[in-house]
Amino acid sequence: MATQQRAIFPRDAGLQVRMLLTLFLLGLLYVALIGALLAAGTGIVLMVVIIGALSFAQLFFSDKLALSAMGAKVVSPQEAPGLHSMIERLCIQADLPKPKIAVADMDVPNAFAVGRSQKTATVACTTGIMRTLSPSELEGVMAHELSHVKHRDVLIMTIASFFASIAATIMQFGFFFGGGDDENPSIIVVLLVSFLVYIISFFLMLALSRYREFAADRGAAVITGRPSALSSALVKISGAMQQVPKRDLREAERMNAFFIVPTSVKGAVQTIFSTHPPIEKRIERLQRLESQLQGTA
Amino acid sequence: MGFLDALLGGKNKKVALPAPDRLFAMTTAQITLETSLGLQHKKSAGIVFQPLGTADFQGILAETEELLRGTAEETGTAVTSSEDQYGYRWLILKDEDFEDLVVSLNTISVALQGSGYGDRLLCAVFPFEEKGKPVYFIYNFKRGAYYPFVPAPGDQARDSERELRLQSQIGAELPFEKDVTRWFPLWEIPL
Repeated sequence: MATQQRAIFPRDAGLQVRMLLTLFLLGLLYVALIGALLAAGTGIVLMVVIIGALSFAQLFFSDKLALSAMGAKVVSPQEAPGLHSMIERLCIQADLPKPKIAVADMDVPNAFAVGRSQKTATVACTTGIMRTLSPSELEGVMAHELSHVKHRDVLIMTIASFFASIAATIMQFGFFFGGGDDENPSIIVVLLVSFLVYIISFFLMLALSRYREFAADRGAAVITGRPSALSSALVKISGAMQQVPKRDLREAERMNAFFIVPTSVKGAVQTIFSTHPPIEKRIERLQRLESQLQGTA
Repeated sequence: MGFLDALLGGKNKKVALPAPDRLFAMTTAQITLETSLGLQHKKSAGIVFQPLGTADFQGILAETEELLRGTAEETGTAVTSSEDQYGYRWLILKDEDFEDLVVSLNTISVALQGSGYGDRLLCAVFPFEEKGKPVYFIYNFKRGAYYPFVPAPGDQARDSERELRLQSQIGAELPFEKDVTRWFPLWEIPL
Protein backbone atom coordinates (compact mmCIF):
# COMPACT_ATOMS: atom_id res chain seq x y z
CA MET A 1 0.00 0.00 0.00
CA ALA A 2 1.29 3.42 -0.88
CA THR A 3 1.64 5.29 2.34
CA GLN A 4 2.24 8.95 2.21
CA GLN A 5 4.05 9.93 5.35
CA ARG A 6 4.03 13.38 6.70
CA ALA A 7 6.37 13.85 9.62
CA ILE A 8 4.29 15.75 12.10
CA PHE A 9 7.39 17.67 13.09
CA PRO A 10 10.35 18.35 10.82
CA ARG A 11 13.80 17.31 12.03
CA ASP A 12 15.51 19.73 14.40
CA ALA A 13 18.83 19.94 12.58
CA GLY A 14 20.28 22.68 14.80
CA LEU A 15 19.84 20.61 17.95
CA GLN A 16 21.44 17.57 16.36
CA VAL A 17 24.42 19.56 15.09
CA ARG A 18 25.03 21.01 18.55
CA MET A 19 24.74 17.56 20.11
CA LEU A 20 27.15 16.06 17.60
CA LEU A 21 29.61 18.90 18.15
CA THR A 22 29.46 18.39 21.91
CA LEU A 23 30.06 14.66 21.53
CA PHE A 24 32.94 15.38 19.16
CA LEU A 25 34.57 17.78 21.60
CA LEU A 26 34.16 15.28 24.42
CA GLY A 27 35.74 12.59 22.26
CA LEU A 28 38.65 14.85 21.36
CA LEU A 29 39.18 15.71 24.98
CA TYR A 30 39.21 12.06 25.96
CA VAL A 31 41.69 11.15 23.25
CA ALA A 32 44.03 13.76 24.72
CA LEU A 33 43.53 12.22 28.15
CA ILE A 34 44.25 8.72 26.90
CA GLY A 35 47.40 9.97 25.22
CA ALA A 36 48.62 11.49 28.46
CA LEU A 37 47.72 8.34 30.40
CA LEU A 38 49.61 6.09 28.01
CA ALA A 39 52.62 8.33 28.34
CA ALA A 40 52.46 8.03 32.11
CA GLY A 41 52.74 4.25 32.35
CA THR A 42 51.33 1.22 34.05
CA GLY A 43 49.95 2.36 37.40
CA ILE A 44 47.45 4.55 35.71
CA VAL A 45 46.43 1.93 33.16
CA LEU A 46 45.46 -0.32 36.04
CA MET A 47 43.40 2.47 37.49
CA VAL A 48 41.60 3.00 34.18
CA VAL A 49 40.71 -0.68 34.17
CA ILE A 50 39.34 -0.43 37.70
CA ILE A 51 37.26 2.63 36.91
CA GLY A 52 36.07 0.90 33.76
CA ALA A 53 34.84 -2.01 35.86
CA LEU A 54 33.19 0.39 38.28
CA SER A 55 31.41 2.23 35.47
CA PHE A 56 30.25 -1.08 34.10
CA ALA A 57 28.92 -2.07 37.50
CA GLN A 58 27.29 1.33 37.75
CA LEU A 59 25.41 0.67 34.53
CA PHE A 60 24.04 -2.50 36.05
CA PHE A 61 23.21 -1.36 39.56
CA SER A 62 22.65 2.38 39.37
CA ASP A 63 19.00 1.95 38.47
CA LYS A 64 18.25 0.09 41.68
CA LEU A 65 20.35 2.55 43.68
CA ALA A 66 18.61 5.52 42.12
CA LEU A 67 15.19 4.05 42.77
CA SER A 68 15.92 3.26 46.39
CA ALA A 69 17.57 6.66 46.91
CA MET A 70 14.29 8.20 45.79
CA GLY A 71 12.25 5.77 47.84
CA ALA A 72 10.51 4.70 44.65
CA LYS A 73 8.83 1.32 44.65
CA VAL A 74 7.99 -0.69 41.56
CA VAL A 75 4.21 -0.90 41.35
CA SER A 76 2.09 -3.65 39.82
CA PRO A 77 -0.81 -2.99 37.42
CA GLN A 78 -3.17 -3.72 40.31
CA GLU A 79 -1.54 -1.08 42.51
CA ALA A 80 -1.50 1.67 39.90
CA PRO A 81 -3.91 0.67 37.14
CA GLY A 82 -4.30 4.11 35.60
CA LEU A 83 -0.56 4.75 35.34
CA HIS A 84 0.04 1.31 33.86
CA SER A 85 -2.69 1.70 31.25
CA MET A 86 -1.43 5.14 30.27
CA ILE A 87 2.15 3.91 29.85
CA GLU A 88 1.05 0.78 27.99
CA ARG A 89 -0.67 2.92 25.40
CA LEU A 90 2.32 5.23 25.10
CA CYS A 91 4.52 2.16 24.60
CA ILE A 92 2.34 0.90 21.76
CA GLN A 93 2.50 4.37 20.23
CA ALA A 94 6.28 4.68 20.68
CA ASP A 95 6.89 1.02 19.75
CA LEU A 96 8.79 0.34 22.97
CA PRO A 97 8.71 -2.64 25.32
CA LYS A 98 6.94 -1.78 28.54
CA PRO A 99 9.33 -0.53 31.23
CA LYS A 100 8.91 -1.25 34.90
CA ILE A 101 6.91 1.45 36.62
CA ALA A 102 7.79 2.86 40.01
CA VAL A 103 6.15 5.39 42.28
CA ALA A 104 7.86 7.43 45.00
CA ASP A 105 5.65 8.66 47.81
CA MET A 106 6.82 12.26 48.06
CA ASP A 107 5.33 15.69 47.51
CA VAL A 108 8.01 16.98 45.13
CA PRO A 109 6.32 16.76 41.73
CA ASN A 110 8.79 14.93 39.53
CA ALA A 111 9.47 11.97 37.28
CA PHE A 112 12.56 10.17 36.07
CA ALA A 113 13.78 7.24 34.03
CA VAL A 114 16.58 4.80 34.88
CA GLY A 115 18.04 1.67 33.33
CA ARG A 116 20.79 0.92 30.86
CA SER A 117 18.63 -0.46 28.05
CA GLN A 118 15.10 -0.33 26.75
CA LYS A 119 14.41 -3.77 28.18
CA THR A 120 15.65 -3.02 31.69
CA ALA A 121 14.31 0.50 31.96
CA THR A 122 12.19 1.77 34.83
CA VAL A 123 10.19 4.96 34.68
CA ALA A 124 9.23 6.50 37.96
CA CYS A 125 7.16 9.37 39.18
CA THR A 126 6.27 10.84 42.52
CA THR A 127 2.82 10.82 44.07
CA GLY A 128 3.19 14.61 44.07
CA ILE A 129 3.25 14.81 40.29
CA MET A 130 0.25 12.50 39.97
CA ARG A 131 -1.71 14.82 42.23
CA THR A 132 -0.50 18.01 40.57
CA LEU A 133 -1.01 17.22 36.89
CA SER A 134 -4.03 16.47 34.76
CA PRO A 135 -4.03 13.11 32.93
CA SER A 136 -2.90 14.60 29.60
CA GLU A 137 -0.12 16.58 31.30
CA LEU A 138 1.07 13.50 33.16
CA GLU A 139 0.97 11.64 29.85
CA GLY A 140 3.28 14.28 28.35
CA VAL A 141 5.71 13.89 31.25
CA MET A 142 5.72 10.09 31.02
CA ALA A 143 6.24 10.34 27.25
CA HIS A 144 9.25 12.58 27.98
CA GLU A 145 10.66 9.87 30.27
CA LEU A 146 9.92 7.15 27.70
CA SER A 147 11.83 9.25 25.15
CA HIS A 148 14.84 9.20 27.47
CA VAL A 149 14.51 5.40 27.45
CA LYS A 150 14.07 5.28 23.70
CA HIS A 151 17.11 7.53 23.17
CA ARG A 152 19.18 5.41 25.58
CA ASP A 153 20.14 8.50 27.53
CA VAL A 154 21.28 6.72 30.68
CA LEU A 155 23.74 4.60 28.70
CA ILE A 156 25.04 7.53 26.70
CA MET A 157 25.48 9.79 29.71
CA THR A 158 27.26 7.01 31.62
CA ILE A 159 29.67 6.41 28.75
CA ALA A 160 30.17 10.13 28.27
CA SER A 161 30.99 10.56 31.94
CA PHE A 162 33.36 7.57 32.05
CA PHE A 163 36.47 9.51 31.13
CA ALA A 164 35.39 12.48 33.17
CA SER A 165 35.36 10.24 36.23
CA ILE A 166 38.82 8.92 35.34
CA ALA A 167 40.12 12.48 35.16
CA ALA A 168 38.47 13.27 38.48
CA THR A 169 40.00 10.21 40.13
CA ILE A 170 43.45 11.08 38.85
CA MET A 171 43.07 14.55 40.26
CA GLN A 172 42.16 13.17 43.66
CA PHE A 173 44.63 10.31 43.89
CA GLY A 174 47.14 11.07 41.16
CA PHE A 175 49.90 12.08 43.54
CA PHE A 176 49.97 8.63 45.07
CA PHE A 177 50.80 7.08 41.75
CA GLY A 178 53.74 9.40 41.23
CA GLY A 179 54.66 9.44 44.93
CA GLY A 180 58.41 9.08 45.52
CA ASP A 181 59.14 8.53 41.84
CA ASP A 182 61.32 11.51 41.05
CA GLU A 183 62.36 10.19 37.65
CA ASN A 184 58.82 10.40 36.30
CA PRO A 185 58.01 14.02 35.53
CA SER A 186 55.21 12.92 33.21
CA ILE A 187 52.91 12.53 36.21
CA ILE A 188 52.76 16.33 36.46
CA VAL A 189 51.62 16.47 32.84
CA VAL A 190 48.99 13.82 33.52
CA LEU A 191 47.69 15.76 36.48
CA LEU A 192 47.52 18.92 34.45
CA VAL A 193 45.76 17.23 31.57
CA SER A 194 43.35 15.52 33.97
CA PHE A 195 42.52 18.82 35.55
CA LEU A 196 41.77 20.42 32.19
CA VAL A 197 39.81 17.38 31.01
CA TYR A 198 37.76 17.40 34.17
CA ILE A 199 36.87 21.09 33.94
CA ILE A 200 36.06 21.09 30.26
CA SER A 201 34.20 17.79 30.26
CA PHE A 202 32.10 19.03 33.17
CA PHE A 203 30.66 21.80 31.02
CA LEU A 204 30.39 19.65 27.92
CA MET A 205 28.48 17.02 29.88
CA LEU A 206 26.06 19.63 31.15
CA ALA A 207 25.56 20.92 27.62
CA LEU A 208 24.97 17.39 26.38
CA SER A 209 22.46 16.78 29.14
CA ARG A 210 20.57 19.94 28.20
CA TYR A 211 20.45 18.95 24.54
CA ARG A 212 19.11 15.55 25.46
CA GLU A 213 16.37 17.18 27.52
CA PHE A 214 15.29 19.15 24.48
CA ALA A 215 15.39 15.95 22.44
CA ALA A 216 13.24 14.15 25.02
CA ASP A 217 10.71 17.02 25.07
CA ARG A 218 10.55 16.76 21.34
CA GLY A 219 10.22 12.98 21.52
CA ALA A 220 7.34 13.38 23.96
CA ALA A 221 5.60 15.77 21.59
CA VAL A 222 6.02 13.29 18.74
CA ILE A 223 4.67 10.38 20.80
CA THR A 224 1.63 12.15 22.22
CA GLY A 225 1.01 14.68 19.45
CA ARG A 226 0.28 17.19 22.22
CA PRO A 227 3.24 19.52 22.81
CA SER A 228 1.06 21.97 24.72
CA ALA A 229 0.13 19.36 27.32
CA LEU A 230 3.83 18.95 28.20
CA SER A 231 4.28 22.75 28.23
CA SER A 232 1.50 23.17 30.70
CA ALA A 233 2.89 20.30 32.79
CA LEU A 234 6.27 22.08 32.92
CA VAL A 235 4.62 25.33 33.97
CA LYS A 236 2.70 23.57 36.73
CA ILE A 237 5.68 21.58 37.98
CA SER A 238 8.04 24.54 38.04
CA GLY A 239 5.46 26.61 39.86
CA ALA A 240 4.84 23.86 42.37
CA MET A 241 8.60 23.30 42.73
CA GLN A 242 9.18 26.71 44.25
CA GLN A 243 6.56 26.14 46.91
CA VAL A 244 7.92 22.83 48.09
CA PRO A 245 9.87 23.00 51.35
CA LYS A 246 13.63 23.08 51.00
CA ARG A 247 14.26 19.96 53.06
CA ASP A 248 12.79 17.67 50.42
CA LEU A 249 14.77 19.42 47.74
CA ARG A 250 18.10 18.62 49.31
CA GLU A 251 17.26 14.97 49.68
CA ALA A 252 16.39 14.90 46.01
CA GLU A 253 19.43 16.88 44.87
CA ARG A 254 21.55 13.95 43.69
CA MET A 255 18.90 12.69 41.32
CA ASN A 256 18.72 15.88 39.29
CA ALA A 257 20.24 14.59 36.09
CA PHE A 258 17.39 12.21 35.36
CA PHE A 259 14.54 14.35 36.56
CA ILE A 260 12.07 16.00 34.29
CA VAL A 261 12.65 19.28 36.08
CA PRO A 262 15.66 19.89 38.35
CA THR A 263 14.54 20.23 41.92
CA SER A 264 16.43 23.40 42.79
CA VAL A 265 15.11 26.34 40.89
CA LYS A 266 17.20 29.17 42.31
CA GLY A 267 16.01 31.90 40.01
CA ALA A 268 17.86 31.67 36.75
CA VAL A 269 21.06 29.91 37.79
CA GLN A 270 23.56 30.50 35.04
CA THR A 271 22.43 28.06 32.42
CA ILE A 272 25.92 26.74 31.78
CA PHE A 273 25.93 25.17 35.26
CA SER A 274 22.64 23.45 34.69
CA THR A 275 21.70 19.90 33.65
CA HIS A 276 18.36 21.13 32.32
CA PRO A 277 17.56 23.97 29.96
CA PRO A 278 15.50 26.76 31.52
CA ILE A 279 11.78 26.01 31.57
CA GLU A 280 11.03 29.06 29.40
CA LYS A 281 13.35 27.75 26.67
CA ARG A 282 11.73 24.33 26.79
CA ILE A 283 8.25 25.79 26.63
CA GLU A 284 9.28 28.09 23.81
CA ARG A 285 10.44 25.08 21.78
CA LEU A 286 7.38 23.04 22.62
CA GLN A 287 5.17 25.91 21.52
CA ARG A 288 7.09 26.09 18.26
CA LEU A 289 6.28 22.39 17.77
CA GLU A 290 2.63 23.09 18.54
CA SER A 291 2.59 25.81 15.87
CA GLN A 292 4.14 23.43 13.37
CA LEU A 293 1.50 20.87 14.27
CA GLN A 294 -1.32 23.37 13.82
CA GLY A 295 0.20 24.37 10.51
CA THR A 296 0.55 27.97 11.62
CA ALA A 297 4.35 28.08 11.73
CA MET B 1 16.98 2.83 15.58
CA GLY B 2 20.49 3.28 14.30
CA PHE B 3 23.54 4.03 16.37
CA LEU B 4 23.74 7.62 15.21
CA ASP B 5 20.05 8.13 15.93
CA ALA B 6 20.55 6.86 19.45
CA LEU B 7 23.53 9.18 19.84
CA LEU B 8 21.59 12.15 18.61
CA GLY B 9 18.58 11.46 20.74
CA GLY B 10 16.56 9.67 18.14
CA LYS B 11 15.30 10.55 14.72
CA ASN B 12 12.48 12.32 16.47
CA LYS B 13 10.86 12.93 13.19
CA LYS B 14 8.08 10.50 13.70
CA VAL B 15 6.98 7.54 15.71
CA ALA B 16 6.87 4.14 14.07
CA LEU B 17 4.67 3.90 11.02
CA PRO B 18 2.06 1.24 10.57
CA ALA B 19 3.71 -1.92 9.33
CA PRO B 20 2.59 -3.23 5.93
CA ASP B 21 -1.04 -4.00 6.21
CA ARG B 22 -1.83 -7.45 7.49
CA LEU B 23 -5.14 -6.51 8.95
CA PHE B 24 -7.07 -8.65 6.46
CA ALA B 25 -5.61 -11.89 7.79
CA MET B 26 -8.37 -11.77 10.42
CA THR B 27 -11.02 -12.37 7.77
CA THR B 28 -9.98 -15.98 7.23
CA ALA B 29 -8.77 -16.57 10.77
CA GLN B 30 -12.21 -15.63 12.09
CA ILE B 31 -13.69 -18.66 10.28
CA THR B 32 -11.25 -20.99 12.01
CA LEU B 33 -11.85 -19.28 15.33
CA GLU B 34 -15.58 -19.84 14.96
CA THR B 35 -15.69 -23.33 13.44
CA SER B 36 -12.87 -25.14 15.23
CA LEU B 37 -12.42 -23.13 18.43
CA GLY B 38 -15.97 -22.02 19.11
CA LEU B 39 -15.17 -18.32 19.41
CA GLN B 40 -18.11 -16.20 18.30
CA HIS B 41 -17.35 -12.74 16.97
CA LYS B 42 -19.43 -10.08 18.65
CA LYS B 43 -20.53 -8.44 15.40
CA SER B 44 -18.46 -5.41 16.19
CA ALA B 45 -14.91 -4.14 15.91
CA GLY B 46 -13.06 -1.04 16.96
CA ILE B 47 -10.10 1.07 15.99
CA VAL B 48 -8.31 3.26 18.50
CA PHE B 49 -6.04 6.19 17.75
CA GLN B 50 -4.69 9.37 19.22
CA PRO B 51 -6.73 12.31 18.02
CA LEU B 52 -4.63 15.35 17.19
CA GLY B 53 -6.08 18.68 18.21
CA THR B 54 -5.59 20.22 14.79
CA ALA B 55 -8.15 21.42 12.27
CA ASP B 56 -6.59 19.31 9.53
CA PHE B 57 -6.82 16.09 11.53
CA GLN B 58 -10.36 16.76 12.73
CA GLY B 59 -11.35 17.46 9.13
CA ILE B 60 -9.95 14.18 7.87
CA LEU B 61 -11.63 12.32 10.71
CA ALA B 62 -14.99 13.90 9.92
CA GLU B 63 -14.58 13.04 6.23
CA THR B 64 -13.75 9.44 7.07
CA GLU B 65 -16.76 9.04 9.33
CA GLU B 66 -18.88 10.61 6.60
CA LEU B 67 -17.45 8.16 4.06
CA LEU B 68 -18.29 5.22 6.31
CA ARG B 69 -21.83 6.43 6.89
CA GLY B 70 -22.15 6.83 3.13
CA THR B 71 -21.26 3.21 2.46
CA ALA B 72 -23.35 2.07 5.43
CA GLU B 73 -26.40 1.80 3.21
CA GLU B 74 -25.00 -1.08 1.21
CA THR B 75 -22.86 -2.70 3.92
CA GLY B 76 -25.12 -2.01 6.87
CA THR B 77 -22.15 -1.05 9.05
CA ALA B 78 -23.00 1.34 11.86
CA VAL B 79 -20.31 3.70 13.17
CA THR B 80 -20.09 5.34 16.54
CA SER B 81 -17.28 7.33 18.03
CA SER B 82 -16.20 7.75 21.62
CA GLU B 83 -13.29 9.02 23.65
CA ASP B 84 -11.81 6.98 26.47
CA GLN B 85 -10.43 8.17 29.79
CA TYR B 86 -6.88 8.24 28.42
CA GLY B 87 -7.81 10.70 25.67
CA TYR B 88 -7.80 8.18 22.82
CA ARG B 89 -10.52 8.11 20.21
CA TRP B 90 -12.40 4.93 19.40
CA LEU B 91 -14.40 4.36 16.26
CA ILE B 92 -16.75 1.46 16.90
CA LEU B 93 -18.25 -0.46 14.00
CA LYS B 94 -21.23 -2.76 14.22
CA ASP B 95 -22.15 -5.20 11.48
CA GLU B 96 -23.54 -8.72 11.25
CA ASP B 97 -21.04 -9.50 8.52
CA PHE B 98 -17.50 -9.96 9.79
CA GLU B 99 -15.85 -9.22 6.48
CA ASP B 100 -17.58 -5.86 6.26
CA LEU B 101 -16.13 -5.00 9.66
CA VAL B 102 -12.59 -5.67 8.50
CA VAL B 103 -13.14 -3.74 5.28
CA SER B 104 -14.49 -0.74 7.20
CA LEU B 105 -11.58 -0.82 9.65
CA ASN B 106 -9.27 -0.86 6.70
CA THR B 107 -11.06 2.14 5.19
CA ILE B 108 -10.36 4.11 8.35
CA SER B 109 -6.71 3.13 8.59
CA VAL B 110 -6.15 3.83 4.90
CA ALA B 111 -7.79 7.24 5.22
CA LEU B 112 -5.57 8.19 8.16
CA GLN B 113 -2.43 6.79 6.58
CA GLY B 114 -3.20 8.35 3.23
CA SER B 115 -3.35 11.78 4.78
CA GLY B 116 -0.12 11.28 6.69
CA TYR B 117 -1.54 10.42 10.09
CA GLY B 118 -0.71 6.72 10.05
CA ASP B 119 1.59 7.14 13.04
CA ARG B 120 -1.36 8.14 15.23
CA LEU B 121 -3.02 4.73 14.82
CA LEU B 122 -2.75 2.51 17.84
CA CYS B 123 -4.75 -0.70 17.45
CA ALA B 124 -7.68 -2.41 15.87
CA VAL B 125 -9.67 -4.59 18.26
CA PHE B 126 -11.84 -7.60 17.43
CA PRO B 127 -14.03 -8.78 20.28
CA PHE B 128 -15.00 -12.46 20.52
CA GLU B 129 -16.93 -14.47 23.01
CA GLU B 130 -15.95 -17.84 24.37
CA LYS B 131 -18.49 -19.49 26.66
CA GLY B 132 -19.75 -16.08 27.71
CA LYS B 133 -16.28 -14.72 28.43
CA PRO B 134 -14.64 -11.98 26.37
CA VAL B 135 -11.62 -12.72 24.20
CA TYR B 136 -10.02 -9.94 22.20
CA PHE B 137 -7.72 -10.00 19.26
CA ILE B 138 -5.69 -6.84 19.03
CA TYR B 139 -3.95 -5.72 15.87
CA ASN B 140 -0.98 -3.44 16.56
CA PHE B 141 -0.64 -1.17 13.53
CA LYS B 142 2.97 -0.24 14.31
CA ARG B 143 4.09 -3.83 14.29
CA GLY B 144 1.61 -5.25 11.83
CA ALA B 145 0.85 -8.12 14.16
CA TYR B 146 -2.00 -9.63 16.12
CA TYR B 147 -2.04 -10.81 19.70
CA PRO B 148 -4.76 -12.14 21.99
CA PHE B 149 -5.98 -10.38 25.09
CA VAL B 150 -8.15 -12.31 27.53
CA PRO B 151 -9.22 -10.36 30.61
CA ALA B 152 -9.69 -12.46 33.73
CA PRO B 153 -12.01 -11.75 36.64
CA GLY B 154 -10.39 -9.32 39.05
CA ASP B 155 -8.74 -5.95 38.83
CA GLN B 156 -6.64 -5.65 35.66
CA ALA B 157 -6.01 -9.39 35.60
CA ARG B 158 -5.56 -11.36 32.41
CA ASP B 159 -5.71 -15.02 31.55
CA SER B 160 -2.21 -15.49 30.13
CA GLU B 161 -2.65 -19.23 29.85
CA ARG B 162 -5.63 -18.85 27.52
CA GLU B 163 -3.76 -16.19 25.53
CA LEU B 164 -0.75 -18.46 25.03
CA ARG B 165 -2.98 -21.37 24.08
CA LEU B 166 -4.69 -19.17 21.49
CA GLN B 167 -1.29 -18.37 20.05
CA SER B 168 -0.61 -22.04 19.40
CA GLN B 169 -4.13 -22.60 18.13
CA ILE B 170 -4.36 -19.76 15.65
CA GLY B 171 -0.77 -18.46 15.41
CA ALA B 172 -0.21 -20.11 12.04
CA GLU B 173 -3.12 -18.30 10.43
CA LEU B 174 -2.49 -14.80 11.70
CA PRO B 175 0.59 -12.61 11.54
CA PHE B 176 1.27 -13.08 15.25
CA GLU B 177 3.27 -10.87 17.60
CA LYS B 178 6.19 -13.13 18.52
CA ASP B 179 7.47 -10.96 21.36
CA VAL B 180 5.17 -11.68 24.30
CA THR B 181 6.37 -8.52 26.06
CA ARG B 182 4.53 -6.56 23.37
CA TRP B 183 1.19 -8.13 24.19
CA PHE B 184 0.00 -4.90 25.74
CA PRO B 185 -3.37 -5.14 27.44
CA LEU B 186 -6.06 -2.60 26.63
CA TRP B 187 -8.32 -2.07 29.61
CA GLU B 188 -11.82 -0.68 29.40
CA ILE B 189 -12.29 -1.63 25.78
CA PRO B 190 -15.64 -0.13 24.79
CA LEU B 191 -16.63 -3.25 22.85
